[in-house]
Amino acid sequence: MTNTLHRQGAVDGLSEDYVIFVTMARDINRDGSAPKIHEFLRICQKHNPVNIGSSKMGTVLQDDVSFQGLVTGLKDGSTSAAVFTDLDTLKKVLAELIEADLGISINVSGLLEGVQECCHSNGIERHSVEHSLGFWGSRDRLPERDVLEINTLCGHGMVSFSLIRKMMEQVKMRRLTPREAAEIMGRCCECAVFNTTRAEHLLEKVLET
Amino acid sequence: MILEIDKSKCVGCGNCHAICPMGAISLDADGKSVVNQDECVECSTCYRVLRDEGYWPPFVKAVRSVLTFLHLQYLAAVDVCPTGALTPPDLEYPRSLRAAFSDPTVVHAGTGVGGRGTEEIKTNDVTGRLREGDAGIVVELGRPGTGARFRDVEKVAMALAPLEPQFEPFNPVTQLMVDTETGKMREEILDEKVLSAIIEVKTRLEKIPDYLETLRAIQDETDAVFSVGIASKCLPDGSIPHEKWVREAGYTLSPNGKTNLGLGRPLFREDGR
Repeated sequence: MTNTLHRQGAVDGLSEDYVIFVTMARDINRDGSAPKIHEFLRICQKHNPVNIGSSKMGTVLQDDVSFQGLVTGLKDGSTSAAVFTDLDTLKKVLAELIEADLGISINVSGLLEGVQECCHSNGIERHSVEHSLGFWGSRDRLPERDVLEINTLCGHGMVSFSLIRKMMEQVKMRRLTPREAAEIMGRCCECAVFNTTRAEHLLEKVLET
Repeated sequence: MILEIDKSKCVGCGNCHAICPMGAISLDADGKSVVNQDECVECSTCYRVLRDEGYWPPFVKAVRSVLTFLHLQYLAAVDVCPTGALTPPDLEYPRSLRAAFSDPTVVHAGTGVGGRGTEEIKTNDVTGRLREGDAGIVVELGRPGTGARFRDVEKVAMALAPLEPQFEPFNPVTQLMVDTETGKMREEILDEKVLSAIIEVKTRLEKIPDYLETLRAIQDETDAVFSVGIASKCLPDGSIPHEKWVREAGYTLSPNGKTNLGLGRPLFREDGR
Protein backbone atom coordinates (compact mmCIF):
# COMPACT_ATOMS: atom_id res chain seq x y z
CA MET A 1 0.00 0.00 0.00
CA THR A 2 2.37 2.62 -1.27
CA ASN A 3 -1.18 3.75 -1.86
CA THR A 4 -1.18 5.61 1.46
CA LEU A 5 2.29 7.13 1.30
CA HIS A 6 1.75 10.35 -0.58
CA ARG A 7 -1.28 11.85 1.19
CA GLN A 8 -1.12 15.60 0.82
CA GLY A 9 -2.05 18.44 3.13
CA ALA A 10 -0.92 20.64 5.97
CA VAL A 11 -0.12 19.09 9.34
CA ASP A 12 -3.52 20.24 10.57
CA GLY A 13 -5.36 18.09 8.05
CA LEU A 14 -2.93 15.19 8.28
CA SER A 15 -3.43 15.09 12.04
CA GLU A 16 -6.88 13.58 11.46
CA ASP A 17 -5.69 10.95 9.04
CA TYR A 18 -4.26 7.61 10.16
CA VAL A 19 -4.53 4.45 8.10
CA ILE A 20 -3.71 1.13 9.72
CA PHE A 21 -3.39 -1.92 7.52
CA VAL A 22 -2.14 -5.50 7.41
CA THR A 23 -0.03 -7.09 4.71
CA MET A 24 1.03 -10.72 4.54
CA ALA A 25 4.33 -11.91 3.08
CA ARG A 26 4.38 -14.45 0.31
CA ASP A 27 5.91 -17.78 1.38
CA ILE A 28 6.23 -16.58 4.99
CA ASN A 29 2.94 -15.88 6.71
CA ARG A 30 0.33 -15.57 3.99
CA ASP A 31 -1.03 -19.11 4.27
CA GLY A 32 -3.52 -19.43 7.08
CA SER A 33 -3.71 -15.66 7.59
CA ALA A 34 -7.48 -15.27 7.09
CA PRO A 35 -8.43 -15.70 10.80
CA LYS A 36 -5.74 -13.17 11.75
CA ILE A 37 -7.04 -10.63 9.26
CA HIS A 38 -10.52 -11.30 10.59
CA GLU A 39 -9.30 -10.51 14.13
CA PHE A 40 -7.51 -7.38 12.90
CA LEU A 41 -10.72 -6.11 11.34
CA ARG A 42 -12.76 -7.01 14.42
CA ILE A 43 -10.42 -5.04 16.67
CA CYS A 44 -10.45 -2.04 14.34
CA GLN A 45 -14.23 -2.11 14.00
CA LYS A 46 -14.64 -1.92 17.78
CA HIS A 47 -13.08 1.54 17.66
CA ASN A 48 -15.41 2.99 15.01
CA PRO A 49 -13.13 3.64 12.03
CA VAL A 50 -14.39 6.09 9.43
CA ASN A 51 -13.61 3.50 6.77
CA ILE A 52 -12.78 -0.18 6.83
CA GLY A 53 -12.40 -2.86 4.21
CA SER A 54 -10.20 -5.05 2.12
CA SER A 55 -8.92 -4.59 -1.42
CA LYS A 56 -10.42 -7.93 -2.40
CA MET A 57 -13.84 -7.25 -0.89
CA GLY A 58 -14.20 -3.47 -1.08
CA THR A 59 -15.15 -0.90 1.53
CA VAL A 60 -18.13 -0.82 3.86
CA LEU A 61 -19.04 2.47 2.18
CA GLN A 62 -20.19 0.45 -0.82
CA ASP A 63 -23.85 -0.58 -0.82
CA ASP A 64 -23.13 -4.26 -1.35
CA VAL A 65 -20.45 -4.61 1.35
CA SER A 66 -21.33 -5.16 5.01
CA PHE A 67 -18.84 -5.61 7.82
CA GLN A 68 -20.02 -9.17 8.41
CA GLY A 69 -19.81 -9.97 4.71
CA LEU A 70 -16.35 -8.47 4.62
CA VAL A 71 -15.12 -10.64 7.45
CA THR A 72 -16.68 -13.87 6.25
CA GLY A 73 -15.61 -13.32 2.64
CA LEU A 74 -11.97 -12.48 3.04
CA LYS A 75 -9.29 -15.04 2.32
CA ASP A 76 -5.65 -15.63 3.19
CA GLY A 77 -3.49 -12.69 2.15
CA SER A 78 -6.27 -10.11 1.84
CA THR A 79 -4.66 -6.74 2.52
CA SER A 80 -7.10 -4.99 4.83
CA ALA A 81 -7.26 -1.50 6.25
CA ALA A 82 -9.09 0.84 8.61
CA VAL A 83 -8.97 4.62 8.88
CA PHE A 84 -8.97 6.58 12.14
CA THR A 85 -9.04 10.29 12.73
CA ASP A 86 -7.21 10.72 16.03
CA LEU A 87 -4.14 9.47 17.82
CA ASP A 88 -5.88 8.47 21.03
CA THR A 89 -8.02 5.95 19.20
CA LEU A 90 -5.03 4.74 17.22
CA LYS A 91 -3.16 4.14 20.47
CA LYS A 92 -6.03 2.01 21.79
CA VAL A 93 -6.28 0.03 18.55
CA LEU A 94 -2.56 -0.56 18.59
CA ALA A 95 -2.64 -1.72 22.21
CA GLU A 96 -5.25 -4.33 21.36
CA LEU A 97 -3.41 -5.47 18.27
CA ILE A 98 -0.19 -5.93 20.24
CA GLU A 99 -2.12 -7.87 22.86
CA ALA A 100 -3.68 -10.06 20.16
CA ASP A 101 -0.19 -10.88 18.80
CA LEU A 102 -1.47 -11.71 15.33
CA GLY A 103 1.96 -12.28 13.82
CA ILE A 104 1.21 -10.46 10.56
CA SER A 105 2.85 -7.24 9.42
CA ILE A 106 0.98 -4.14 10.52
CA ASN A 107 1.71 -0.69 9.11
CA VAL A 108 0.37 2.75 9.90
CA SER A 109 0.37 5.67 7.48
CA GLY A 110 0.13 9.09 9.07
CA LEU A 111 2.15 11.78 10.77
CA LEU A 112 5.36 9.99 11.67
CA GLU A 113 5.83 11.71 15.01
CA GLY A 114 2.32 10.79 16.07
CA VAL A 115 2.75 7.17 15.05
CA GLN A 116 6.08 7.05 16.88
CA GLU A 117 4.33 8.38 19.99
CA CYS A 118 1.74 5.60 19.68
CA CYS A 119 4.51 3.00 19.42
CA HIS A 120 6.28 4.32 22.51
CA SER A 121 3.12 4.57 24.57
CA ASN A 122 2.56 0.90 23.77
CA GLY A 123 6.13 -0.12 24.55
CA ILE A 124 7.31 -0.96 21.04
CA GLU A 125 9.85 0.58 18.67
CA ARG A 126 9.06 1.07 14.97
CA HIS A 127 10.75 -1.31 12.53
CA SER A 128 10.94 0.54 9.20
CA VAL A 129 9.83 3.90 7.86
CA GLU A 130 9.04 5.25 4.42
CA HIS A 131 8.85 8.95 3.57
CA SER A 132 7.35 10.67 0.58
CA LEU A 133 9.60 13.01 -1.38
CA GLY A 134 6.60 14.41 -3.21
CA PHE A 135 5.71 14.71 -6.86
CA TRP A 136 8.27 15.05 -9.64
CA GLY A 137 8.20 15.27 -13.43
CA SER A 138 5.44 17.05 -15.34
CA ARG A 139 3.86 18.67 -12.31
CA ASP A 140 2.00 21.13 -14.52
CA ARG A 141 -0.39 18.22 -15.14
CA LEU A 142 -1.42 18.17 -11.50
CA PRO A 143 -4.67 19.76 -10.36
CA GLU A 144 -5.23 22.52 -7.84
CA ARG A 145 -4.14 21.85 -4.24
CA ASP A 146 -7.58 21.14 -2.73
CA VAL A 147 -8.36 18.61 -5.47
CA LEU A 148 -4.98 16.96 -4.95
CA GLU A 149 -5.56 16.65 -1.20
CA ILE A 150 -8.74 14.67 -1.79
CA ASN A 151 -7.34 12.67 -4.70
CA THR A 152 -4.38 11.41 -2.67
CA LEU A 153 -6.71 9.99 -0.02
CA CYS A 154 -6.89 7.09 -2.49
CA GLY A 155 -3.36 6.65 -3.76
CA HIS A 156 -4.40 4.19 -6.44
CA GLY A 157 -6.03 7.16 -8.12
CA MET A 158 -9.57 5.77 -8.19
CA VAL A 159 -11.10 9.12 -7.23
CA SER A 160 -10.71 11.15 -10.39
CA PHE A 161 -9.88 14.84 -10.47
CA SER A 162 -13.09 15.45 -12.42
CA LEU A 163 -15.26 13.60 -9.90
CA ILE A 164 -13.74 15.67 -7.09
CA ARG A 165 -14.48 18.90 -8.96
CA LYS A 166 -18.01 17.67 -9.66
CA MET A 167 -18.53 16.87 -5.97
CA MET A 168 -17.26 20.33 -5.04
CA GLU A 169 -19.77 21.87 -7.43
CA GLN A 170 -22.60 19.74 -6.08
CA VAL A 171 -21.72 20.79 -2.54
CA LYS A 172 -21.55 24.45 -3.54
CA MET A 173 -24.96 24.18 -5.17
CA ARG A 174 -26.28 22.44 -2.02
CA ARG A 175 -27.31 19.41 -4.04
CA LEU A 176 -25.16 17.20 -1.83
CA THR A 177 -23.95 17.67 1.71
CA PRO A 178 -20.17 17.42 2.23
CA ARG A 179 -20.78 14.09 3.97
CA GLU A 180 -22.77 12.66 1.05
CA ALA A 181 -20.17 13.82 -1.46
CA ALA A 182 -17.34 12.37 0.65
CA GLU A 183 -19.10 8.99 0.78
CA ILE A 184 -19.66 8.90 -2.98
CA MET A 185 -15.94 9.51 -3.49
CA GLY A 186 -15.07 6.97 -0.81
CA ARG A 187 -16.93 4.26 -2.69
CA CYS A 188 -14.43 4.58 -5.55
CA CYS A 189 -11.54 3.57 -3.28
CA GLU A 190 -11.58 -0.23 -3.22
CA CYS A 191 -8.90 -0.56 -0.55
CA ALA A 192 -10.93 1.39 2.03
CA VAL A 193 -8.14 3.87 2.81
CA PHE A 194 -10.15 6.94 1.78
CA ASN A 195 -10.72 9.11 4.84
CA THR A 196 -14.32 10.30 4.49
CA THR A 197 -14.12 12.59 7.52
CA ARG A 198 -11.10 14.43 6.17
CA ALA A 199 -12.71 14.66 2.73
CA GLU A 200 -15.86 16.02 4.36
CA HIS A 201 -13.84 18.71 6.14
CA LEU A 202 -12.09 19.65 2.91
CA LEU A 203 -15.46 19.94 1.18
CA GLU A 204 -16.79 22.10 4.01
CA LYS A 205 -14.05 24.57 3.16
CA VAL A 206 -15.49 24.77 -0.35
CA LEU A 207 -18.71 26.07 1.17
CA GLU A 208 -16.78 28.82 2.94
CA THR A 209 -15.23 30.15 -0.28
CA MET B 1 -12.77 -7.61 -25.08
CA ILE B 2 -12.00 -4.15 -23.69
CA LEU B 3 -14.20 -1.95 -21.53
CA GLU B 4 -17.03 -0.71 -23.73
CA ILE B 5 -20.22 1.26 -23.46
CA ASP B 6 -23.20 -0.47 -25.02
CA LYS B 7 -24.61 2.18 -27.35
CA SER B 8 -27.96 0.42 -27.50
CA LYS B 9 -28.33 1.10 -23.77
CA CYS B 10 -26.43 4.35 -23.19
CA VAL B 11 -28.64 7.41 -22.67
CA GLY B 12 -25.74 9.88 -22.58
CA CYS B 13 -26.21 10.98 -18.97
CA GLY B 14 -22.46 11.60 -18.61
CA ASN B 15 -22.03 10.16 -15.12
CA CYS B 16 -19.23 7.89 -16.31
CA HIS B 17 -17.30 10.86 -17.71
CA ALA B 18 -16.57 12.30 -14.27
CA ILE B 19 -15.89 8.94 -12.63
CA CYS B 20 -13.18 7.96 -15.13
CA PRO B 21 -9.75 8.63 -13.53
CA MET B 22 -8.22 9.15 -16.97
CA GLY B 23 -10.95 11.34 -18.42
CA ALA B 24 -11.16 8.77 -21.21
CA ILE B 25 -14.95 8.83 -21.63
CA SER B 26 -16.74 11.53 -23.58
CA LEU B 27 -19.92 12.16 -25.50
CA ASP B 28 -19.88 10.99 -29.11
CA ALA B 29 -21.54 12.78 -32.02
CA ASP B 30 -24.61 10.56 -31.55
CA GLY B 31 -25.12 11.82 -27.99
CA LYS B 32 -23.92 8.60 -26.40
CA SER B 33 -20.80 8.02 -24.36
CA VAL B 34 -17.71 6.51 -25.89
CA VAL B 35 -14.41 5.26 -24.41
CA ASN B 36 -11.11 6.49 -25.83
CA GLN B 37 -9.47 3.08 -25.88
CA ASP B 38 -5.94 4.46 -26.12
CA GLU B 39 -6.39 6.49 -22.94
CA CYS B 40 -8.46 3.94 -20.99
CA VAL B 41 -6.33 2.10 -18.42
CA GLU B 42 -8.91 -0.64 -17.77
CA CYS B 43 -9.21 0.24 -14.08
CA SER B 44 -12.95 -0.61 -14.21
CA THR B 45 -13.75 2.21 -11.79
CA CYS B 46 -16.74 3.20 -13.93
CA TYR B 47 -18.08 -0.34 -13.98
CA ARG B 48 -17.55 -0.94 -10.26
CA VAL B 49 -18.71 2.39 -8.86
CA LEU B 50 -21.71 3.34 -10.98
CA ARG B 51 -24.69 1.38 -9.74
CA ASP B 52 -26.71 -0.22 -12.50
CA GLU B 53 -30.25 1.10 -12.07
CA GLY B 54 -31.44 -1.34 -14.70
CA TYR B 55 -33.94 0.95 -16.39
CA TRP B 56 -35.19 0.20 -19.88
CA PRO B 57 -33.36 2.74 -22.12
CA PRO B 58 -36.48 3.84 -24.11
CA PHE B 59 -38.20 4.58 -20.78
CA VAL B 60 -35.34 6.81 -19.60
CA LYS B 61 -35.27 8.63 -22.95
CA ALA B 62 -39.04 9.10 -22.91
CA VAL B 63 -39.02 10.54 -19.39
CA ARG B 64 -36.26 12.94 -20.36
CA SER B 65 -38.08 14.05 -23.50
CA VAL B 66 -41.23 14.79 -21.52
CA LEU B 67 -39.30 16.72 -18.86
CA THR B 68 -37.44 18.70 -21.51
CA PHE B 69 -40.73 19.50 -23.25
CA LEU B 70 -42.17 20.78 -19.96
CA HIS B 71 -38.97 22.76 -19.23
CA LEU B 72 -38.46 20.69 -16.09
CA GLN B 73 -35.24 19.25 -14.82
CA TYR B 74 -34.70 15.90 -13.17
CA LEU B 75 -31.90 15.88 -10.59
CA ALA B 76 -30.32 12.51 -11.31
CA ALA B 77 -28.03 10.70 -8.88
CA VAL B 78 -24.38 11.13 -9.82
CA ASP B 79 -23.22 7.61 -8.98
CA VAL B 80 -25.45 5.52 -11.23
CA CYS B 81 -25.53 4.19 -14.75
CA PRO B 82 -29.30 4.31 -15.30
CA THR B 83 -29.36 1.58 -17.93
CA GLY B 84 -26.35 -0.62 -17.11
CA ALA B 85 -24.59 0.29 -20.34
CA LEU B 86 -21.05 -0.40 -19.12
CA THR B 87 -19.59 -3.71 -20.24
CA PRO B 88 -16.72 -5.13 -18.17
CA PRO B 89 -13.53 -6.08 -20.00
CA ASP B 90 -12.04 -9.50 -20.61
CA LEU B 91 -8.51 -8.65 -21.63
CA GLU B 92 -5.64 -10.30 -23.45
CA TYR B 93 -1.93 -9.59 -23.09
CA PRO B 94 -0.44 -6.99 -23.37
CA ARG B 95 -3.59 -4.95 -22.77
CA SER B 96 -4.27 -7.02 -19.65
CA LEU B 97 -1.30 -5.22 -18.06
CA ARG B 98 -3.46 -2.08 -17.99
CA ALA B 99 -5.89 -3.74 -15.58
CA ALA B 100 -3.11 -5.37 -13.55
CA PHE B 101 -1.51 -1.98 -12.90
CA SER B 102 -4.69 0.08 -12.65
CA ASP B 103 -7.41 -1.99 -11.03
CA PRO B 104 -6.54 -2.61 -7.35
CA THR B 105 -8.81 -5.65 -7.23
CA VAL B 106 -6.61 -7.47 -9.75
CA VAL B 107 -3.76 -9.52 -8.28
CA HIS B 108 -0.43 -9.45 -10.14
CA ALA B 109 0.30 -12.95 -11.40
CA GLY B 110 4.05 -12.63 -10.88
CA THR B 111 3.98 -11.46 -7.26
CA GLY B 112 0.60 -12.59 -5.96
CA VAL B 113 0.03 -9.07 -4.63
CA GLY B 114 -2.88 -6.78 -5.51
CA GLY B 115 -2.73 -3.00 -5.89
CA ARG B 116 0.50 -2.05 -7.63
CA GLY B 117 1.81 -5.51 -6.92
CA THR B 118 4.59 -5.12 -4.40
CA GLU B 119 4.98 -5.67 -0.66
CA GLU B 120 7.91 -3.20 -0.40
CA ILE B 121 8.50 -2.18 3.26
CA LYS B 122 5.06 -3.30 4.35
CA THR B 123 6.42 -6.74 5.19
CA ASN B 124 10.02 -5.72 5.85
CA ASP B 125 9.80 -6.99 9.43
CA VAL B 126 9.48 -10.58 8.18
CA THR B 127 11.18 -10.48 4.77
CA GLY B 128 14.29 -8.43 5.57
CA ARG B 129 13.95 -6.83 2.16
CA LEU B 130 15.73 -3.75 3.49
CA ARG B 131 18.47 -4.43 6.01
CA GLU B 132 20.85 -2.28 8.00
CA GLY B 133 22.56 0.17 5.65
CA ASP B 134 20.04 -0.35 2.84
CA ALA B 135 17.79 2.25 1.31
CA GLY B 136 14.65 1.44 -0.64
CA ILE B 137 13.58 3.89 -3.32
CA VAL B 138 10.19 3.71 -5.00
CA VAL B 139 9.40 5.77 -8.07
CA GLU B 140 5.73 5.54 -8.99
CA LEU B 141 5.12 6.75 -12.53
CA GLY B 142 1.66 8.15 -13.22
CA ARG B 143 0.82 8.95 -9.65
CA PRO B 144 -1.10 10.94 -8.59
CA GLY B 145 -4.02 10.47 -10.93
CA THR B 146 -2.34 11.20 -14.26
CA GLY B 147 -1.36 7.78 -15.63
CA ALA B 148 1.79 6.74 -17.46
CA ARG B 149 2.92 4.58 -20.33
CA PHE B 150 5.55 1.89 -19.92
CA ARG B 151 7.69 3.98 -22.27
CA ASP B 152 7.93 6.55 -19.44
CA VAL B 153 8.60 3.80 -16.91
CA GLU B 154 11.41 2.47 -19.07
CA LYS B 155 12.95 5.91 -19.46
CA VAL B 156 13.26 6.35 -15.70
CA ALA B 157 14.42 2.76 -15.13
CA MET B 158 17.13 3.15 -17.77
CA ALA B 159 18.26 6.43 -16.22
CA LEU B 160 18.66 4.71 -12.84
CA ALA B 161 20.34 1.57 -14.20
CA PRO B 162 23.90 3.02 -14.46
CA LEU B 163 23.80 3.50 -10.68
CA GLU B 164 23.70 -0.30 -10.44
CA PRO B 165 20.57 -0.61 -8.33
CA GLN B 166 19.08 -3.89 -7.31
CA PHE B 167 15.69 -3.79 -9.00
CA GLU B 168 13.39 -5.61 -6.59
CA PRO B 169 12.71 -9.06 -8.07
CA PHE B 170 9.26 -9.38 -6.44
CA ASN B 171 8.00 -6.27 -8.15
CA PRO B 172 5.85 -6.49 -11.30
CA VAL B 173 7.74 -3.72 -13.12
CA THR B 174 11.05 -5.55 -12.62
CA GLN B 175 9.40 -8.69 -13.94
CA LEU B 176 8.56 -6.86 -17.17
CA MET B 177 12.18 -5.88 -17.78
CA VAL B 178 14.11 -7.82 -20.39
CA ASP B 179 17.37 -6.72 -18.83
CA THR B 180 17.72 -5.52 -15.24
CA GLU B 181 21.27 -4.32 -16.00
CA THR B 182 19.90 -1.67 -18.37
CA GLY B 183 16.27 -1.26 -17.19
CA LYS B 184 15.08 -2.10 -20.72
CA MET B 185 11.48 -3.30 -20.82
CA ARG B 186 9.59 -5.61 -23.16
CA GLU B 187 9.07 -3.89 -26.48
CA GLU B 188 5.42 -4.93 -26.90
CA ILE B 189 4.30 -3.23 -23.69
CA LEU B 190 5.83 0.22 -24.14
CA ASP B 191 2.67 1.90 -25.43
CA GLU B 192 0.41 0.39 -22.81
CA LYS B 193 -0.97 2.99 -20.44
CA VAL B 194 -1.55 2.33 -16.74
CA LEU B 195 -2.79 4.40 -13.82
CA SER B 196 0.60 3.96 -12.19
CA ALA B 197 3.55 1.60 -11.99
CA ILE B 198 6.26 1.42 -9.35
CA ILE B 199 9.96 1.11 -10.05
CA GLU B 200 11.43 -0.29 -6.85
CA VAL B 201 15.13 -0.37 -6.16
CA LYS B 202 17.38 -1.28 -3.29
CA THR B 203 20.68 0.50 -2.81
CA ARG B 204 23.00 1.63 -0.03
CA LEU B 205 22.14 4.67 2.08
CA GLU B 206 25.20 6.61 0.92
CA LYS B 207 24.04 6.36 -2.69
CA ILE B 208 20.76 8.17 -2.00
CA PRO B 209 22.08 11.58 -3.24
CA ASP B 210 23.12 10.01 -6.57
CA TYR B 211 19.66 8.55 -7.10
CA LEU B 212 17.91 11.80 -6.24
CA GLU B 213 20.19 13.74 -8.56
CA THR B 214 19.44 11.27 -11.37
CA LEU B 215 15.71 11.58 -10.79
CA ARG B 216 15.98 15.36 -10.72
CA ALA B 217 17.70 15.28 -14.10
CA ILE B 218 15.30 12.84 -15.77
CA GLN B 219 12.17 14.62 -14.59
CA ASP B 220 12.54 17.23 -17.32
CA GLU B 221 12.70 14.53 -19.98
CA THR B 222 9.43 12.79 -19.21
CA ASP B 223 5.81 13.73 -19.81
CA ALA B 224 4.80 11.71 -16.78
CA VAL B 225 4.30 12.79 -13.21
CA PHE B 226 5.97 10.55 -10.68
CA SER B 227 5.94 10.17 -6.92
CA VAL B 228 9.10 9.34 -5.05
CA GLY B 229 9.30 7.45 -1.77
CA ILE B 230 12.30 6.46 0.28
CA ALA B 231 12.55 3.88 3.04
CA SER B 232 14.95 2.21 5.42
CA LYS B 233 15.02 -0.08 8.41
CA CYS B 234 15.11 1.92 11.64
CA LEU B 235 17.99 1.75 14.09
CA PRO B 236 17.31 0.13 17.49
CA ASP B 237 16.43 3.54 18.97
CA GLY B 238 13.81 4.11 16.27
CA SER B 239 15.77 6.72 14.32
CA ILE B 240 15.50 6.70 10.55
CA PRO B 241 18.83 6.24 8.73
CA HIS B 242 17.78 7.69 5.37
CA GLU B 243 16.72 11.07 6.80
CA LYS B 244 20.30 12.36 7.08
CA TRP B 245 21.15 11.44 3.49
CA VAL B 246 18.02 12.98 2.02
CA ARG B 247 18.48 16.22 3.96
CA GLU B 248 22.14 16.47 3.04
CA ALA B 249 21.17 16.08 -0.60
CA GLY B 250 18.93 19.12 -0.19
CA TYR B 251 15.49 17.52 -0.28
CA THR B 252 12.57 17.87 2.08
CA LEU B 253 10.97 14.90 3.78
CA SER B 254 7.23 14.68 4.27
CA PRO B 255 5.93 14.97 7.87
CA ASN B 256 3.77 11.93 7.19
CA GLY B 257 4.76 8.52 5.93
CA LYS B 258 4.43 4.85 6.46
CA THR B 259 5.59 3.00 9.56
CA ASN B 260 6.07 -0.75 9.71
CA LEU B 261 5.42 -1.53 13.37
CA GLY B 262 7.52 -4.71 13.47
CA LEU B 263 4.68 -6.96 14.65
CA GLY B 264 5.03 -9.61 11.91
CA ARG B 265 6.30 -13.07 12.80
CA PRO B 266 8.70 -14.76 12.39
CA LEU B 267 10.68 -11.55 12.71
CA PHE B 268 13.54 -11.44 10.20
CA ARG B 269 16.92 -11.44 11.92
CA GLU B 270 20.00 -10.29 10.10
CA ASP B 271 22.19 -12.53 12.25
CA GLY B 272 20.21 -15.52 11.01
CA ARG B 273 19.15 -16.67 14.49
